[in-house]
Amino acid sequence: MTADRILNTAGAWALALIWVLPLAYAIWTAVHPAAYEARFDLFAPLTLENFIKAWNAAPFGRYFLNTFVLVTVILAGQIVLCTFAAYAFARYQFPGRGVLFGLVLLQLLIMPDILIVENYKAIRLLDLVDTIPAIALPYIASGFGIFLLRQTFMSVPKELEEAAQVEGMSTLGILVKVYMPLAIPTYLAYGLVSVSHHWNNFLWPLIITNSVETRPVTVGLSIFSAIDSGVEWSVINAATLMTSGPLLLAFLLFQRQFVQSFMRAGIK
Amino acid sequence: MLMTKFKAAAAALAFAAAPAAADVDLQFYFPVAVGGAAADTIEELTAQYVAENEGVNIEAIYAGSYQDTVAKALTAARGGNAPQLSVILSVDMFTLLDEDLIMPFDDFATSEEDKAWLNSFYPAFMENSQTGGKTYGIPFQRSTPVLYWNKEAFKAAGLDPETPPATWDEMVEMGKKLTLKDDAGNVTQWGVRIPSSGFPYWLFQGLTTENGAILANADGNEVSFDDPKVVEALDYLVDLSKEHKVMAPGIIEWGATPKAFFEGQTAMMWTSTGNLTNVRKNAPFDFGVAMLPANKRRGAPTGGGNFFLFKGASDEQAKAAFDFVKWISGPEQSAKWTIATGYVAPRPETWETETMKAYAAEFPPVLVARDQLEHAVAELSTYENQRVTRIFNDALAAAITGQKTSEEALKEAQAKADAILQDYR
Repeated sequence: MTADRILNTAGAWALALIWVLPLAYAIWTAVHPAAYEARFDLFAPLTLENFIKAWNAAPFGRYFLNTFVLVTVILAGQIVLCTFAAYAFARYQFPGRGVLFGLVLLQLLIMPDILIVENYKAIRLLDLVDTIPAIALPYIASGFGIFLLRQTFMSVPKELEEAAQVEGMSTLGILVKVYMPLAIPTYLAYGLVSVSHHWNNFLWPLIITNSVETRPVTVGLSIFSAIDSGVEWSVINAATLMTSGPLLLAFLLFQRQFVQSFMRAGIK
Repeated sequence: MLMTKFKAAAAALAFAAAPAAADVDLQFYFPVAVGGAAADTIEELTAQYVAENEGVNIEAIYAGSYQDTVAKALTAARGGNAPQLSVILSVDMFTLLDEDLIMPFDDFATSEEDKAWLNSFYPAFMENSQTGGKTYGIPFQRSTPVLYWNKEAFKAAGLDPETPPATWDEMVEMGKKLTLKDDAGNVTQWGVRIPSSGFPYWLFQGLTTENGAILANADGNEVSFDDPKVVEALDYLVDLSKEHKVMAPGIIEWGATPKAFFEGQTAMMWTSTGNLTNVRKNAPFDFGVAMLPANKRRGAPTGGGNFFLFKGASDEQAKAAFDFVKWISGPEQSAKWTIATGYVAPRPETWETETMKAYAAEFPPVLVARDQLEHAVAELSTYENQRVTRIFNDALAAAITGQKTSEEALKEAQAKADAILQDYR
């Protein structure tokens, strides 16, 4: 092994360790009694009590269901809208195309938090306050998704489309049977980014919803940040692991696909 | 969950008793800063009120932390969907007034009884709740900082375990005896811990008040950050670490402070009374609670949240909201809330109830915060409160970490705050 390679490996290990430390700490405190939060003892008694306490502190069963529905609705909406928009921008020539695409890109520069009041007004106009679609709507027309898919579609060889046309395939058929299958790595990568972002989103769902039936897990998680009475790290970490668990698990299961699709889609 | 069941029950009841007068629906936002159980207590109390008052439905909506709650209330109000009631930090009163979102409670206090009720709160809590002769906030989850001390550590250091420091000098002297080092010269136990992360201005206001300074005027448009008494207070805080070496240097984490106290890393700590139940449950040693030590005088800020009445409510809604606030501040309800959370019951009447007397007899430290109220002053609150306190916090952090001297840091803060508050004079 050359010195260069050793340095690389050592660097990778060091970074991985730094990355995993908070997670390791969270797991350590979550499975031990509160007395061991700041004390390391290999033989400290194990307990699941923190998880039970965390689970009972809020209706997490319902919150998980809500979050699951939410991220599914958002992703489904985004895929449909972004696919059509990206296809139009990639393959059609129409007046104002450049300006319109510029507007879509402009969306990437605007922090969604700035628009909270305007979004609230719009949702109220639609009479959707305190519903799951209300949380999802502002995010469905995703500028990032359109941009990403357009770039992918543009790299699809024109010959494939022409061949399909010769075979008499409809435009919709070409989109679904030629373009979409070729863009699967992009869809996967984008899906991961979208799901994890909306799984973790907190402020907008908190503001637009009022009831247990519509709120996601992050709102449930927030009741543990009790600044007036001292933070219980063991319970907070148990709750954090619990709420991020499904995402973490999904990532570990599909890790190979994700890494590959990120490389192909060119998202860094 | 509870609310839904409850609404269903109430609806069934209303249906049976039809034709009743049209129902009044209220939305009520509340933050939680003391752990999950507090949310349950608020929902229980609300459900109890709704059960006792036919024709009124109140939806109690958990709205996150204090910052989240004010963001949610502001957004909803600007979106034309304001709640009728919300619990928000008392210091946000000027912000809410500036946005023209709240109504004074006085407008709805029509009977003599109502007026007497408005005057029945501890004056220290009302300082942050009134301006221009009107009452905009009704104290609900209010707190004040106190000093907790470890009696065992006091005994081990040869101090009387029943006597906490009563003055600044005593705190330094005792602190020196309480600061322990191991053979290598590392500190194993500090004398005192005054947390300075996040919102250092709050505990620091304890020091400035004790030194005879008032940080902001009652109109919320004038601050005195560069008052020599404030500079002196900041010097004292900095010297606890730098000169006397009885407190850990640098920024001290607020959230980790109770833990450090339980683990014996510090013999005394300054923190909110909201921590009382937590300390009682988790301290593995005998502890005491005392008022903050005095310098020129005793003193402490108040803190916590008030009820605010939002504009946009119909007359019936506003009346119902007023009635609900009056009910929830009633002696028994307020006693239940205080026992569940550790917040200071805001009216003397509550402390006269048998429930509260029995609780205080069993656990006398709860009385310390109440007794400190006569020395307490309004928490720092101005127009553009978030920006002004941020400037002040940054100045404190700069002095604590040694980047600037106390005087420099506070002079700069005064100039910046003046520039902002200019528009409100």
